[in-house]
Amino acid sequence: MSPLHFSFYSAFTFSSLGLAFHRTHLISALLCLESMMLSMFVPLSIWPVENQTPSFTLVPILMLAFSACEAGTGLAMLVASTRTHGSDHLHNLNLLQC
Amino acid sequence: MNPHAKLISSMSLIMGTSITISSNHWILAWTGLEINTLAIIPLISKSHHPRAIEAAVKYFLTQSTASALILFSSMSNAWSTGQWDITQLNHPTSCLLLTMAIAIKLGLVPFHFWFPEVLQGSSLTTALLLSTLMKLPPITLLLLTSQSLNPTLLTFLAISSALVGGWMGLNQTQTRKILAFSSISHLGWMIAIIAYNPQLTILTFALYTMMTTAVFLSLAQIKVLKLSTMLISWTKTPMLNATMMLTLLSLAGLPPLTGFMPKWLIIQELTKQEMTPTATIISMLSLLGLFFYLRLAYHSTITLPPNSSNHMKLWRTNKALSTLTAILTATSTSLLPLSPLIITMF
Repeated sequence: MSPLHFSFYSAFTFSSLGLAFHRTHLISALLCLESMMLSMFVPLSIWPVENQTPSFTLVPILMLAFSACEAGTGLAMLVASTRTHGSDHLHNLNLLQC
Repeated sequence: MNPHAKLISSMSLIMGTSITISSNHWILAWTGLEINTLAIIPLISKSHHPRAIEAAVKYFLTQSTASALILFSSMSNAWSTGQWDITQLNHPTSCLLLTMAIAIKLGLVPFHFWFPEVLQGSSLTTALLLSTLMKLPPITLLLLTSQSLNPTLLTFLAISSALVGGWMGLNQTQTRKILAFSSISHLGWMIAIIAYNPQLTILTFALYTMMTTAVFLSLAQIKVLKLSTMLISWTKTPMLNATMMLTLLSLAGLPPLTGFMPKWLIIQELTKQEMTPTATIISMLSLLGLFFYLRLAYHSTITLPPNSSNHMKLWRTNKALSTLTAILTATSTSLLPLSPLIITMF
């Protein structure tokens, strides 16, 4: 695997590990989600340069648009959970236990 | 909910689902999945109750993670094979990542923990959408890539989903959680056969959607959210309670009702593929589900007159006729004799 591919793999892997192991705050989970999306954006931007396919140039912009919408939704959920649960601490989200 | 917002959300759901199931390129499939996630968040959280908000947060986090994983797996496949076509997913790491991502999206074991809680936090109609419509795009992606996925992993996911869905449903008293675990075990059955005969997966999904919609609509009509309410609900619509027993037993997979058809065909196909232990184990595990379906059926129907009961009877008001519930209940109990026709149609 080339060093470039390795760096993309590891960027995504560490972001997803950060998302999986988030401990206290919901906002750290949202941050890790955004960094996963960012680590997807860079390879998608390199793909049309590397493969000489200008028709693929729209794809990173599309991906960024959707991940921005998702980030906005995540922040709206953060605000909503702060309004109902008092804070964004994750151990407060226990109203629906089995 | 504001009618404009409801219209935009429902149209976006339909559009997102259509985009994903009709796409050939991974980016378009991912776009449809994202649209679906974004569109259903307002539907889950519309009542602004703390439980609804918590359910929406949990749903959002899990589905976004799964979408990002799908994008990453398709990109790593593109790096090694140069292909963005959905049916040409050949790189082994990409196949593994995709299987895990779809398992998170669908709520298969061991990624099922969000599903009962999200269903519990949403209204019955939204829970119906979450169990049926939101499962369609991920199952489509799995169907398109089924020949390159690891069959052992899929069998493991299937058996463990049937186990957990049956076992954890036993201790539940909330109907939405019971239906969540029933959904998990049905998905296990669908995944068991996907590597060998994907058309049976489509058939199982269609029949499961029909039966689950019938049960959810019946429950929504009598507004029953827990077992104790179900016990006294027969005064509202006695006929609906009587037929709900048949619909629930059809979900459980009892012959001669429709729900037996997918289980029968799946066991037959697994046996043909020399996977008899899998077929035996998965059918034994669906007996666990039979227990809680029977309990639900008892609560809804066996309490009908002429059994005497000494609870305070609720008033019976004129409930509007629901044609859709009637049609779905009829089809979900009586379609088994038509199985040769249905098999040829799929």
